[in-house]
Amino acid sequence: MSIRLEHVSKLYGTQSVVRDVSLTVNAGELFVLLGASGSGKSTLLRLIAGLLPADSGTIWLHDQNVTHLPPQQRETGFVFQQYSLFRHMTIAENIAFGLEVRHVGRKEQHKQVQELLDLIGLADLGNRMPAQLSGGQQQRVALARALAYQPRVLLLDEPFGALDVQIRSQLRQNLREIQQRLGVTTILVTHDQEEAFELADRIGILSNGTLLEANTPNELYHAPKTRYTATFLGHANLIPAQRNGTHLYLGDYRLPAPAHTEHLANQAVELLCRPEELELTHTLEEQRGQVVGQGIVTSIAQSGRSVRVGVMLNGQFNETPLNILLPPSRQRELGLQTGQCVWVRVNEYHVLGTQTPL
Amino acid sequence: MTDAVLAALSVPQPTRSLPWGDWGLRAAAATYLLLFVGVPVMVIAIQGVRFGPVEFWNSITRPEAFTALRLSITTAAFAAFINTLMGVLTAYVLVTYRFPGKAIFNTLIDLPFAIPTIVTGVMLVLLYGPQTVIGAFFQKTFGMKFIYDIPGIVLALLFVGYPFVIRTVQPVLLSMEANQTEAAQTIGASDWLTFRRVIFPAIRPAVLTGAMLSFARSLGEFGAVIVVAGNLPLKTQTATVYIYSQVEAGNIQAASSVSLVLLAVAFSLTLIAERWLGGKNHA
Amino acid sequence: MRDLSPRSPITWMLIALVVGYALILFGLPIVTIVGSAFAKGIDPIVKTFNDPEVQHAILMTFALAGIAVVFNAIAGLITAWVLTRHHFPGKRLLDAMVDIPFVFSPVIAGYAMIVLFGRVGWFAPTLFPIVFALPGILLAKIFVSLPFVTRELQPVLESITPEQEHAAYTMGASRWLTFRRVILPEIWTALLYGLVLTFARAVGEFGAVAVVSGSIQGYTETATSFVFRALNDRNPSGAYSVSLVLMLVSLAILVVLNILKHRLVTRKG
Repeated sequence: MSIRLEHVSKLYGTQSVVRDVSLTVNAGELFVLLGASGSGKSTLLRLIAGLLPADSGTIWLHDQNVTHLPPQQRETGFVFQQYSLFRHMTIAENIAFGLEVRHVGRKEQHKQVQELLDLIGLADLGNRMPAQLSGGQQQRVALARALAYQPRVLLLDEPFGALDVQIRSQLRQNLREIQQRLGVTTILVTHDQEEAFELADRIGILSNGTLLEANTPNELYHAPKTRYTATFLGHANLIPAQRNGTHLYLGDYRLPAPAHTEHLANQAVELLCRPEELELTHTLEEQRGQVVGQGIVTSIAQSGRSVRVGVMLNGQFNETPLNILLPPSRQRELGLQTGQCVWVRVNEYHVLGTQTPL
Repeated sequence: MTDAVLAALSVPQPTRSLPWGDWGLRAAAATYLLLFVGVPVMVIAIQGVRFGPVEFWNSITRPEAFTALRLSITTAAFAAFINTLMGVLTAYVLVTYRFPGKAIFNTLIDLPFAIPTIVTGVMLVLLYGPQTVIGAFFQKTFGMKFIYDIPGIVLALLFVGYPFVIRTVQPVLLSMEANQTEAAQTIGASDWLTFRRVIFPAIRPAVLTGAMLSFARSLGEFGAVIVVAGNLPLKTQTATVYIYSQVEAGNIQAASSVSLVLLAVAFSLTLIAERWLGGKNHA
Repeated sequence: MRDLSPRSPITWMLIALVVGYALILFGLPIVTIVGSAFAKGIDPIVKTFNDPEVQHAILMTFALAGIAVVFNAIAGLITAWVLTRHHFPGKRLLDAMVDIPFVFSPVIAGYAMIVLFGRVGWFAPTLFPIVFALPGILLAKIFVSLPFVTRELQPVLESITPEQEHAAYTMGASRWLTFRRVILPEIWTALLYGLVLTFARAVGEFGAVAVVSGSIQGYTETATSFVFRALNDRNPSGAYSVSLVLMLVSLAILVVLNILKHRLVTRKG
């Protein structure tokens, strides 16, 4: 079952919260809407669920136009961040509610509830009240409740945002497994980039109410279309360059221009280099990747299992601070110290036009 | 807009109620209130002023009317004052201490809300009337008459206005952080000093609100007063009793203008009270 | 500083002062009326309650109060819902209007009704009389007991997060079903509390009724107007008996209120 949005917009007063968003989610896909707070992602999710009416555009769930339908009729499962379990009903009653609404028989209800409780790993807790459960358990119940009536789509609004870090990781795993097992089309909204990468088949980047781009995590990370995306998803080293002919020129050095960048011919561009794709050498002769220039080491620090090296790159007209991740073995080889002059080189790189908005 | 600005702005929350129809509910609520509350207010307002300002002024400055209004306001103010003092004290005692019978006592406080005012009047007459032990005692020793005299009115108003200050102050006291008073105690402050400098400033809005409500309630009291004080114009006739007698006599102007004045005073007080506490009243 | 054991003599004096004041203000009168009602034995009481006019008055009072409760319950619920869940221009005005019956002297309310529905009133009714008849008394009772349900429900409704409601809607529950299964279980204690207060106020109303009913014996005389008349007619035992009944009803109401209040507080904590 697929989800399709066409030119959906929503205003609060005169402020545009969702601007002209069009996107398609494929059947069985786990799509993550990633954006900072205030980007409109929660609003967009509520528009899909029908909890808010769209001001313009159309929303299709399974080739049915649901734009003007109230939430009751859209057959979506919604998991809120918190406070959504019915406080005065037991866990089992909570989960069974959607079945009750659809007039499923008592015995059948009981059976399905038990299956779901097993699925979320809370098999014996059916008779507890929500207040007796931990935050993580409550969210699992919320998930089971939303899935109980086999909705067309599953919508999750920052479901793990209110939980401890350790629990989040566990629940992400659970969610992924359940989603894949059931094959339900899912949209999850989050501001956590790590979460997005861990869960998503595809990610949509939302900024200021606009959907900037949507792609697989890998593509977005290595070949983003916008500067915003590049900087949002982890450290982005952006080095100014000029694209002429078939090369990129950075001062005295040049690199072959990647394919499909002809539209940026004769323009000032930016080279996107991820910290793990940059290399450092003491000499020009050492063959490691393509040279982009020379720089001074400004900082060296431990970062997890790697070493993070800050280098100020000397450019033609200005300096660019770089953030480089080296394996510890490499740092031992180089013996880098701050203040040293090094050659900066790159293995993989991507090109962004500077005319791109944001 | 930059991301930083966006992050700082909070996205307006989706409205609690789904906007899928239901103007019907709003219309019902609005009609209910307009019909049952709006209309009576309008009626009194119109009636009060329809005969012109001169007539209006004359009717409230007549000795009977003026005396009645003055009596109502002074007795209500006095009763509110005592109710405030006792109310704060009672709320403080209820929240702070444990003592036998506390639960029953807490229940009894709401009695004026539950009991018909005329029954209050009857009870007071039975207890303090001139032929009773207490009544006779007060008459002989202090020359003070309760029934058919002003002290009786005050007594009745003390009764009906009793719970207000207690019930507005109690929740505030209950929700006060124990830390504050405990800190004061470790510093060495006595109970009284703690009350004066730590507790009272926190409850002052509630106290004032309760006082206003008690006063407004006492202003409008009729049942208890007419039994206890009777209907002696210029002596023990309060504004509400005056209005009653004017209505019975068919004097529209008199009834209307005094009603309007009474209403105006009561309204302004409640408005002030709401502004101060800003919340819902639990009668 | 909560629930301490009283320590010093001063503390005990404080408690004694507070409790003593209440005892004198309330306790004595209650005792007195019980005593006075039974002062001349049980016969006058029996005689009073055998009087068909008295029976009618009492029945009519409770019946009309009951109707007022039902009416204010439904309308008050809708009003509380609209005031907490909806946003529209003029909402604050409506909210303020709910408090007006608290401070609107009932005598004045009765007078307003006469102006509106009296024989020469603005909307003098043609089909059936309102003033000096049961409808007028009912309207008076509705007016004075109007705010209670709304005011008791508002804070509870506010405390129910929108997520619970919205979750129910996405699961397919209609608004009515959501109200019945999700909202109502949370608010019924507060609702009941409001209903009991409404009933108490409607039964005990005298000022408006005194003006509006004409106190026609056996027809529009309520329990409270009966007491008033009995006093004036030098029928003290009649007045005391009915007062006693009304007072016992009040005490019963108090007890119920207290139980409900306990439930309200403990569920929140």
